[in-house]
This record gives sequence, structure tokens and C-alpha cells, in this order.
Amino acid sequence: MNTLPTETKPNGPVAASFLAAGLASFVIGIGVVLNEASDTIKNAIGVDFNAFLQFDRTFGFGSGVGPLSGKVGIAIIAFALSWVVFHLWLRGKEVNFRSFFIASLVLVGLGFALTFPPIFLLFAPAH
Amino acid sequence: MELTERELYTVLHGLILGTLFLLAFGGGLAGLWSLRERLLTTEGLQERTPRLLIGTWVMAIVAWLTVITGTFIAYPWYRATPPEGIDRTDPTVLEEFPRYLLLAQEKTAEWHRFGMEWKEHVAWLAPFLATAVAFAVLYYGAQLVRRNEIRRALIVFFVLAFVAAGVAGLFGAFITKAAPVA
Repeated sequence: MNTLPTETKPNGPVAASFLAAGLASFVIGIGVVLNEASDTIKNAIGVDFNAFLQFDRTFGFGSGVGPLSGKVGIAIIAFALSWVVFHLWLRGKEVNFRSFFIASLVLVGLGFALTFPPIFLLFAPAH
Repeated sequence: MELTERELYTVLHGLILGTLFLLAFGGGLAGLWSLRERLLTTEGLQERTPRLLIGTWVMAIVAWLTVITGTFIAYPWYRATPPEGIDRTDPTVLEEFPRYLLLAQEKTAEWHRFGMEWKEHVAWLAPFLATAVAFAVLYYGAQLVRRNEIRRALIVFFVLAFVAAGVAGLFGAFITKAAPVA
């Protein structure tokens, strides 16, 4: 008779994927805030994030999508790259999953918060 | 009776992929919820694991397809800029420019300022979260029954992915009603 599995693999790779998803969510939120605060940042340090995020114009990534193309482009890159890095770091390891999960949840929570208009509009210049 | 090319894409984006997403979420959530040692025999586990794998991967793939079609096909139609000479405060001439049509009227402007601005960003959280869940199910397979802490975390991420997609889908439906891209 078969039995339920008793041995399980180490949880490091799953912690890595959770952390990467959390980071990508946070990156989307940061992209939104940087775009909203673009005029203020440009006046302060001369960096134009609105222009930078327009990957449709710069790289032809999504014609007509505007700054959203840069926000999602960077988030996708962050997701893929961070997953590889975290995976290499955590593969074969049994980690304190709770800590990684909480860190991931905080990043996801920040992602939700920073994409919520009443919050990200706090960073937009007053008209 | 006919559908324009844009209507077809919006039906694919919102209705077909949205329905698949809902189905996959329901199946995946039920599978994760009931993947508990005391509820399962070995045969039950063997029967459920492939279904859980399919549910979570379908949800992840559909989440990616939905945000990609939404962002790179429908969204440029939505934010198309009226040419010079068109009065951006006159809703009667803005039918082909949904973003400007919404902004031209105080009673609809919040659909863009709040609804679309939230939807276009929050939707992108769904594929990241759903992919992490699908990977974990693939990685552990039947062993997940021994990993309660991870199973519970997967449920949380799975529900958050659904919430992100749900917000986007709900506002998408309302915005399409107020200012269709087709």
C-alpha cells in the first residue's frame, strides 16, 4: 500500500520565488511613485523619470503604452533577475520560511499601497 | 450582428481570459485548501495533485496573458490622443478617445483618475503572485501535503493574486461601459 510522502524538498526555492514576486510588486509601486513625482524630482536633481519610463519611445516596447511600458518592463526584469539570484542563494537550503513570507507580504503590501491612487497621488505635484 | 477587431480583443482580454482565470482560481483554491493530510488518502492525493498543478499553472498563464493583452493591445487604444483641433472638453467628439472622453465630463472623470489609474498598475501584481504559487506547486507536488506552512502561504498569495486581478477586472468592466475602446 502506498503512503503519503514523508520526505520533502528544502523550502529555499519556494522562499526565493515568493521574495521575487514581492520584489516585483514593490518595483511596480515604486515605478508609479517615481512617475507621479517626476516633475518634482526633475526640478530637484534633473532626472526625468517620466521620460525614462517611456520604454515605448526609447526601446519600442509597447507602442502607445507610455510610462506604463517602463514600469512593467522594469518589474518583469526585476522579477526574473531577482528570482534567479534568490534561487541561487537559497537552493538546497531549508530556511525560516515564515520570515521570508512576511518579508514578501510586506513587499506585496507596499506594491498594493503604492499603486492605489489616493496614496501615489500624494507624490504628485500640487496643481 | 458583428464584432469589430477591438471588440474581439476586449472580449478575449476581459471575458474569455477573465472566465478562465476565475475557473482556475476556484479550482486552485479548493485544491490548496483541501490539501491536508487528515483529509486525504494516498489515492486521493495522487488524484488531486495533477489537478492542482493544472489549476495553478492555468491561473498563472492566464494572468500573464490578461495583463499583456490589456497593457499592450487594449491600453494604447484607451489612451489614444485626439489630434490637434479636436476640442478635448467636448464629449461628443471624443468617442474614439476613451481616456479623454472620461476626463471631459466631471461625472465620469473619476473612472479614469481613480479606476483606470489603479487598474492598469495593480493588475500586474497578479501574474507575479500567481507564478510564485504555480512554481511552488510544481516544485513540491504531492509533498506539499507535508508542508502546511507553505500551503497556507500559497493560499494567501493565491487570494492576493485574485484580489489584484479582481480589482482590475471590476474597473475594466465599469470603464468599458462608460467609455468603450471599440
